[in-house]
Amino acid sequence: MTAPLPKRIIKETERLQSEPVPGISAQPHDDNARYFDVMVEGPGGSCYEGGIFNLELFLPDDYPMCPPRIRFLTRIYHPNIDRLGRICLDVLKNNWSPALQIRTILLSIQALLGAPNPEDPLNEAVAKQWKENQPEAIRTAREWTKLYAQKK
Amino acid sequence: MKFGHEYQKALANEGFPEQWRGSAIDYKYLKKCIKKVHHEMEDLGLDANTIHHLSEPLDDTMKARPIVRLDGFYSAAQPHLDTIVEEFTPQLRILVDAKTGTPLDATLTSETKQSLRKLARHERIFAGRQAHLGRHAVHEIHGNAHDSSDGRKSPLTTETSDAKWIEVPLSSARSFFDLLAPKLDQLEELREAETRKLEADVLNLGDAVEDVVEPVREGFEAKRDVSYRDLYFWREMFRLYVENPVFYSPTEQNRGGFTYADARKRLESYDQKLRATGLYAKLKTPQAKRAAKQFFDLNVDILKIMHFQEMNAQAMRKILKKFDKRTHLEGKLFLKTLQTKYPALLPPSNRSAVGGAAGFANSIARDMHAELSSKVLSIVPQLDDWNCPVCMDMAWRPVNLGCCQSHFCIRCVIKMQDDGMVRCPTCNAETVVMANGTNIDFEAMDFLEKYFPMEVKRRQRDNEKASLERQYGEAFTKPGCLVM
Repeated sequence: MTAPLPKRIIKETERLQSEPVPGISAQPHDDNARYFDVMVEGPGGSCYEGGIFNLELFLPDDYPMCPPRIRFLTRIYHPNIDRLGRICLDVLKNNWSPALQIRTILLSIQALLGAPNPEDPLNEAVAKQWKENQPEAIRTAREWTKLYAQKK
Repeated sequence: MKFGHEYQKALANEGFPEQWRGSAIDYKYLKKCIKKVHHEMEDLGLDANTIHHLSEPLDDTMKARPIVRLDGFYSAAQPHLDTIVEEFTPQLRILVDAKTGTPLDATLTSETKQSLRKLARHERIFAGRQAHLGRHAVHEIHGNAHDSSDGRKSPLTTETSDAKWIEVPLSSARSFFDLLAPKLDQLEELREAETRKLEADVLNLGDAVEDVVEPVREGFEAKRDVSYRDLYFWREMFRLYVENPVFYSPTEQNRGGFTYADARKRLESYDQKLRATGLYAKLKTPQAKRAAKQFFDLNVDILKIMHFQEMNAQAMRKILKKFDKRTHLEGKLFLKTLQTKYPALLPPSNRSAVGGAAGFANSIARDMHAELSSKVLSIVPQLDDWNCPVCMDMAWRPVNLGCCQSHFCIRCVIKMQDDGMVRCPTCNAETVVMANGTNIDFEAMDFLEKYFPMEVKRRQRDNEKASLERQYGEAFTKPGCLVM
């Protein structure tokens, strides 16, 4: 027996539909309202521009006391995102606060695409390339965006 | 032609007060003025084409230097104090040969040249007087730049290195602007007066609403003829109003006043929504019904003045465009001056083109939107302002952690403490660990009990349940039979 959906999740979902964040969408699954299909556009001016990235988002039972779990489904060349799509972002871990929401977290992820941080890497190989030969790394990121992150 | 007709009709039929109609822009008369300017210029032999031709740069490869330019509307009186009204005198400035007064262009008809020469002579006589006024009308132009441009000139023009500008005053053009300027002053005055009146109305309405929604203790209800349920209907009414703004869109994506047509549609749909949800019918007392009507009437009034101002702004734009087209004098210059003088009338950005409200209408929409939100809508507190950031429901037993302004439910704070959280969710200060009973904000609690009696009761039940759950485990509160 599943617990009834907390009011907060209902409210957040409603607001995501009625006032969507530009460049971001999150759609809950019909059979599980805690599981969302997320789509984030690569921010303009970054090497992910023009890309459309799919993510999955799950709200654990403890939400909002613990952060949502988020993973990239689309392959992406980024120093803070590993091969499995896991994301290294402080607000998804230690700096989570229950006042944060799905929309703010997704915005943070979009911002992370605009500002890769190779100093705090999750994907060592990418971060190394990013530090040693940034133009080459950016070129690869563009290529991957063209290769994997296009609208189907 | 069509617009002028529509404009007249709208002015006459839309039920504007007499006094407003007096300050409306006289489109028809202004159009006549334009015709006069046109004639006057033709008399001078300067039809639109000629002026257009003269205004063109001499040669594409050369630096664009027009022979004729409208030097705009210099003020005859130097504006040393703001109170002195500047006088705009539209003038044509034409480059002519200094000695003969022949215009430096080959393509002019001899007739035009003649009249221009006459003007130049005239000019010489007046030059002295102009100098006396501290203003040199004749600007000598020397230099090689001119010589090089002479290659294209008519053989009639002697190869002099001297040329000068003569000024052609256009009296009918002046009367055009003379007519337009005071109208704008009147419109501005009207806007101010109406805004003041509307502001007073808003205050009145605020009082009326306050009177109606003032929460009362039980027992006083009958005496004060006020039902506490009314509070809920007003809240619902205003919530709908805030969610569907009628005059002004405050959202990031689409900021700005709506056009009159849009605003009217929005108000109509708002009215329909109220009727559909039966909110009007649910208002209990006659006072409440009166206040509701007052609220609606005020909206209609705002709409009316918006419409009037929008029409005038449109008339203004059209007439200046016509002026430009017919005379090729740059009315745009005049427009620029007006923009600095009446920033509210003609916003410099071309917002009107993208479908927002224009001119005074925009500023009225904005002012009234702000006025209504601060003086009337704020009287009825909305639930969203009292949501706990953690559970996004009304903060029951509101706790203020003392670090920031946020209010949390006591239940959420206890939960956070159970989870070992240390920092405030909104401002990150280390206050959650230290929170205790003294952090309950009793003032806010009283306020909530007063204004949200139904929500408080519901939250109280939720809280009791959650508290039992915490004490005895989840199964304790599950509905249904439980055999111990």
